[in-house]
Amino acid sequence: MRKQVRLTIDDRQITAPAGTLIVNAAKQIGIDIPVFCYHPKMEPVGMCRMCLVEVGRPIIDRNTGQPVLEDGQPKIQFGPKLETACTTPVSEGMVVRGMSEKAKAGQNEIVEFLLTSHPLDCPICDKGGECPLQNLTMEHGPGKSRFLYDEKFHLEKRVPLGDLIFLDRERCIQCARCIRFQDEIAGEPVIGFYNRGRATDIVTYTDPGFDSVFSGNTTDICPVGALTTSDFRFGARTWELKSTASVCGQCPVGCNIVFNTRREAKADGRIVIKRVMPRQNEQVNEIWLCDKGRFAYHYTENGARLSRPLVKKNGKLEASSWDEAAAIAGGKLRSADGEVVVLASGRLSNEDLFNLKSLADGLGGKALLYTQMGGGDLTARFGVGAGTNFGEMGAGTTILVAASDLYNEAPVWHLRVKGAAKRGATVIVANGRETKLDAFAKYVVRYAYGDEVETINGLQQKEKIGEAITSAENLVVLFGSDGLGLNGTSNLAAACAELVQGRAGKPNNGLIGVWPKANDQGAWEIGFRPTDDLSSELKGKTVYVVAADPAGDDPQLAAALKEAKFVIAQELFQTATADLADVVLPAQAYTERDGSFTSGERRAQRFYAAVPAFGESQADYAITALVADAAGVELADSAGQVFENLVVTVEAFAGLTYEILAETAEQWPVVGRGDMYYGGTTYENTRGLGAHLVGWGERGETASRPRVQEETELRPKEGQWLAVPVTKLYDQGLTVRSSKLLESHIGAATVTLHPEAAKRLGAGAGELVEISLNGTTAQVSVLLDETVSASVALLPRGMGLPISGPVVAGLKKV
Amino acid sequence: MSLAEKYPQEIQKIFAKYPPEQKRSAVMPLLYLAQREEGFITKGAMEEIAGMLGIKVTEVAEIVGFYTLYHDEKAGKYRMQVCTDLPCALRGADKFIEELCGNLGVKVGETTEDGLVTVEAVMCLAACDKAPMLQTQGSDGINYHENMTVDKTLELIEALKKSVA
Ligand code: SF4
Ligand code: SF4
Ligand code: FES
Ligand code: FES
Repeated sequence: MRKQVRLTIDDRQITAPAGTLIVNAAKQIGIDIPVFCYHPKMEPVGMCRMCLVEVGRPIIDRNTGQPVLEDGQPKIQFGPKLETACTTPVSEGMVVRGMSEKAKAGQNEIVEFLLTSHPLDCPICDKGGECPLQNLTMEHGPGKSRFLYDEKFHLEKRVPLGDLIFLDRERCIQCARCIRFQDEIAGEPVIGFYNRGRATDIVTYTDPGFDSVFSGNTTDICPVGALTTSDFRFGARTWELKSTASVCGQCPVGCNIVFNTRREAKADGRIVIKRVMPRQNEQVNEIWLCDKGRFAYHYTENGARLSRPLVKKNGKLEASSWDEAAAIAGGKLRSADGEVVVLASGRLSNEDLFNLKSLADGLGGKALLYTQMGGGDLTARFGVGAGTNFGEMGAGTTILVAASDLYNEAPVWHLRVKGAAKRGATVIVANGRETKLDAFAKYVVRYAYGDEVETINGLQQKEKIGEAITSAENLVVLFGSDGLGLNGTSNLAAACAELVQGRAGKPNNGLIGVWPKANDQGAWEIGFRPTDDLSSELKGKTVYVVAADPAGDDPQLAAALKEAKFVIAQELFQTATADLADVVLPAQAYTERDGSFTSGERRAQRFYAAVPAFGESQADYAITALVADAAGVELADSAGQVFENLVVTVEAFAGLTYEILAETAEQWPVVGRGDMYYGGTTYENTRGLGAHLVGWGERGETASRPRVQEETELRPKEGQWLAVPVTKLYDQGLTVRSSKLLESHIGAATVTLHPEAAKRLGAGAGELVEISLNGTTAQVSVLLDETVSASVALLPRGMGLPISGPVVAGLKKV
Repeated sequence: MSLAEKYPQEIQKIFAKYPPEQKRSAVMPLLYLAQREEGFITKGAMEEIAGMLGIKVTEVAEIVGFYTLYHDEKAGKYRMQVCTDLPCALRGADKFIEELCGNLGVKVGETTEDGLVTVEAVMCLAACDKAPMLQTQGSDGINYHENMTVDKTLELIEALKKSVA
């Protein structure tokens, strides 16, 4: 522990670890020293001078080394000038006066200076109501300006930095928080200061502008209304907004969020979501979000959503009632004699999946997970222990990222792993191509696609890397699906699990699956399993497909579904699968109901209903209960009840309750209270930090050594290519494509080739080539990447081409 | 033509001055090289330099923006940069620049019709005692001209005109 020092701030005596900055020491005892440029997540820079305070230090007698006493008390000498509380560390015997007349005068002057070039257009400013500058102007600003109004400095008010973030130049106070965030925390310095003095301007030179998936965070920490999102710009006044705690449903990180809602005339008086804000959870997302999590929610309010149950009559889907639809669906399931397949995805909550699994069990059918990524049985066993927190990882911790492009697959984990590297953790990235994390890794292992398992198995034999893995105090292994399908990822998971198996159950140790969906981990825990031959599983069966669109993803699966006996589709939208279905059941978006997700770190987290249901849609677990009832299986139909049944049935959830998931604890840095100026507009966590599932170790079971399956090797012949799937953050997935705001980020399907390989094909960057694989032919444009091997073609998933795993493909120039 | 194609040797010489892991330090000399081309730095040049150094183009742009001797807009062959800071102003620099502009038929920041001279007002150039003063910045580098009058400046411009003709 660091040495503690005693000091006095505003007449209150405290102790704080040596090195603590005055501003933080004060914050810890509830004293708010005003700041603009300082942010507790970033290095202090002392640029704005808002935090000026009087600092006194005891006079030390040079001969004795002891403080000089006066009336028995150490004599304190105050400096002639004010000091910045954000850059000055505390020291023994220090006396800080933040409220004295002298300090106040200094702070007031800074505000007055800032206001000489600030428009104070709070009445039309999105930040109004939660603005540090507005608040501090109320407190410190002069009642009357000494400057001439006509000489006010005016600048452009609408500068798009990218299509998601707008800059209002005259509101900017040049605190550089946004620039420092991009540089220090995101590691993508794509915005910067241009010019100096009064002409200082925020610029971006990348193409597209502000090219970072973390851009939205800058609007939270900008202490004025200079940076706004195109989503919320002129959208509402902040004080009209209600907030509902939730969890992002876009990836396995499980970032804690708040949905801000209000009743809206434009939406015919309905309550709608106006914006997504981060909610502090230092163990999960700290106070950050990626832009997908922040902006993709619009899919939930897309007017094309299913609003009524549909039943196929005379070959056509027709609107129906819940009673009729459930009776038909339930009747078919009951009469299927166990020939039932429930096919669901990790987009669903724990409650939905549990009810579906119970239904499948009750009918003697199968519960299949719709995914191309395996290994969840291993993460359930060797997952990271309770109390795991990337934020605490530093020197002594080794983090291996295997076959995962974290930046695209789980952006906030990219941020957190990068942060751990900065604190001294040893990061090893093993992948078949360069990813953004490479720049922050200590070791980069490059393999040819197909050699994943061999590479991971060989790591311990490598001198330095082996040492970093075996002798690490803490070891976390993240594995993803870059270039891999179901079999490949299952084998990779087994190889990765071997590295951590002795450590299972310990905090900051274990295996993490970088799943394609938010709740894949929950689905595995509850007992859903994928199959490598889905087509044959579907043929001839009564199939209940929930939150999945196999027919839209793959023509072969569409054909299989056509051969199914009966198809029930439960969805948000009329997907290709719903087109084929005999009964279509409209589900609520997760924003419209309660539930919980299990993150990739095996943390169960609650979300709450933020807006009313769309049309007649119902929550997935409730629909399943309704259908089950008609099929003769009794299930609970309230989220709380289902969860209670879940925890007594599935051992990993044992002991958990909704109340436990809703528990909170004091977190550092303190954010979101009265003073927006300290942490930004991120929300304080008042509705729950979630809780870890029980690990095998804690259940007293020993885990057996995972077994690596035989892999059939794919060897492309001369003139053929090995096409492998990779993940793109903004793809055409249902929850992205239906969000207007992100349209321009999705783009068209591409294929990534080595420049030499592209040359052999005769195609340059941006040119079209024709690709044929899995019985489909399509034209895609070429991207170049020097780091992939020569006969490999990278295809992004979810971009319209059916690619579930590595496959031999043909390519030719158009 | 890219800088790398045009000045391979000079670029190599610049890089040789810095340890390879600190090659981003070469950003300033490379920017001067780029500026030699057309008297200002194009976005294309910034991108090329960013590529050479493995940094973001925005980071290169920040440097261009910060230092007044880098330019991002096309100007005359010579920039006449007149100091108008307080000490120079006390010695009549503001009047001097006003009259000079009047004679050339341009405003501060504008270029003469023949494209030869752009008049700019700048901050202290550390020759306060010899005001009015200005520096010319062109492909031949930077030169100080001190204790100037409008007539002497017009003569200077004539001389510059001859030298480029
Ligand atoms: S835009 Fe906001 S965060 Fe960025 S420098 Fe200006 S005031 Fe600070
Ligand atoms: S990192 Fe994942 S969970 Fe977090 S905001 Fe982004 S998509 Fe959502
Ligand atoms: S100088 Fe301390 S907050 Fe800006
Ligand atoms: S003020 Fe003009 S040179 Fe110093």
